[in-house]
Amino acid sequence: MVASQHITGNALRTSYERQGDDLILQMGPQHPSTHGVLRLELVLDGELVKHVRPHIGYLHRCFEKHAEALTYPQVIPYTDRMDYVGAMCQELGYVLTVEKLMGLTELPPRLHYIRVLVAELQRIASHLLAVGTYGLDVGAITPFLWCFRDREKILDLFEWLSGARLLYNYLWIGGVAHDLPTGYLDRVREFVDYFEPRVQELNDLLSLNKIFIERTAHIGIMSPEVAISYGVGGPNLRGSGVRWDLRKEEPYCVYDQLDFGIPVGTGEHGPVGSAWDRYMVRVREMLESLNILRQVIARMPSGDPNAAMPRRIRPPEGDAYVRTESPRGEIGYYIVSDGSEKPFRCKGRSPCFTAISALNAISQGALLADAVAIVGSLDIVLGEVDR
Amino acid sequence: MWQYLVNIWDSVKTPLIGMRLTWRRLFTPSVTLQYPEERWDLPPNSRMQLFVNMDDCIGCAQCERACPVQCITIETVKAVPNEVEETSTGHKKRLHVAKFDIDMAKCCYCDLCTFPCPTECIYMTPSFEDSAPDRYGLLYHFAQITPEKAAELAEKAQKFDEAEEARKAAGRPAAAAV
Repeated sequence: MVASQHITGNALRTSYERQGDDLILQMGPQHPSTHGVLRLELVLDGELVKHVRPHIGYLHRCFEKHAEALTYPQVIPYTDRMDYVGAMCQELGYVLTVEKLMGLTELPPRLHYIRVLVAELQRIASHLLAVGTYGLDVGAITPFLWCFRDREKILDLFEWLSGARLLYNYLWIGGVAHDLPTGYLDRVREFVDYFEPRVQELNDLLSLNKIFIERTAHIGIMSPEVAISYGVGGPNLRGSGVRWDLRKEEPYCVYDQLDFGIPVGTGEHGPVGSAWDRYMVRVREMLESLNILRQVIARMPSGDPNAAMPRRIRPPEGDAYVRTESPRGEIGYYIVSDGSEKPFRCKGRSPCFTAISALNAISQGALLADAVAIVGSLDIVLGEVDR
Repeated sequence: MWQYLVNIWDSVKTPLIGMRLTWRRLFTPSVTLQYPEERWDLPPNSRMQLFVNMDDCIGCAQCERACPVQCITIETVKAVPNEVEETSTGHKKRLHVAKFDIDMAKCCYCDLCTFPCPTECIYMTPSFEDSAPDRYGLLYHFAQITPEKAAELAEKAQKFDEAEEARKAAGRPAAAAV
């Protein structure tokens, strides 16, 4: 006993150590199921998790400080890299903030529809990655591959549109980089028709699988009170049964003219707010996104989307905050302008950061093996947590 | 007890539903492409590799200023009037581009440099197999002038400027007289 205390008192930290009767286990930063470089310090009592302390910052790239040295359009590639699996939605939040700062309100309707189109395609792509890797976390490999097969089709669409597969720099301040190519909407419609039955396949394969339900429907229960008190947003919040979606609450672009539902967690197979509920909200949101895409394709107006694009981006002095609904929740940008070409301050509000802060509250008392499944159900992207 | 049996039944039934899907998938063609042997078409606007058509470059350095990561380095030398050429777009090339380096290791493939170019001479190409064994292999030199030639041109431009100054100083009274 004395000898082991002597060893743990050593400055050299090993991967696990003892504190009294508790075992401290380091999970990550190179752990396959933390979805990036996240280190979790788990305080274990036997096999039960007593505390989880997330250690973040391994992907910190100084986005906010960097933005102060760049002109407004040059920041857009950096916002892509915040949430690299939902890049379009990040760009959308940023450009809407700069547009509010500049007082650009008279934008062509086609531009709004293009933005909704790409944002919803991106939402499907991001949710496909989320549900696919969540299946992988709990041991189902086939759904992951099938999800990636379908996600690839969206990435191909984006590549055709913008030239890049992941980091698009497509949405610009007051415009888009290129108008939609000829025949693009037909390809999107093809994808929508192709993808709708695939969601049912995914449900048969994974969502309604009894083994998967038993694994996930009783763990990581986030009550609505906990979710709201931590400021969690997006599917994580809706999984707890709270009907809150910024597309409905504070509509931007043309979301107020579109008809879509907000799926919430219902607790069909266990308590409300479980990991399965969060997962299922994402699956149902994909169907709602398909619904939105159909309406956007039917209503896409003609015209030049870049008709109102300002030649020089030089917002007047002031500040603006805009929040939008990204696939992971509420993404907000707060920009202070001093009247120059560069932002004086650019703050990003990350939904993943709030989700990870709630991790300790929802995983207390869980088994060690469930900790992986709980982290996966929050669908965090570490690029966005650390920025 | 009844719930226990239902659970057992569900645990057998739902994986079988999934297996039926995977079994059916076994007889459909594979979607995977074996990359080096099989290739797929990339859209022509793919952003894979930057290329500069130096015949059209006028050395205005707008791409350099637009780049968020400073991966483009341009140095220019003034051209004397009898050396001024025209680009295919009809722009005058008033500057010799002595250095046009693009460090593709720094490039973030954002495409911001291609839009301000007045002669559209810098653009992204769909060629993507340009990896290099070390990072100096990713430093592309586009300038067609050697450093020696650049120094020579710089000297020439300086001499021309001096001659011009002298001519102006000498010519002003003469011009006034006429």
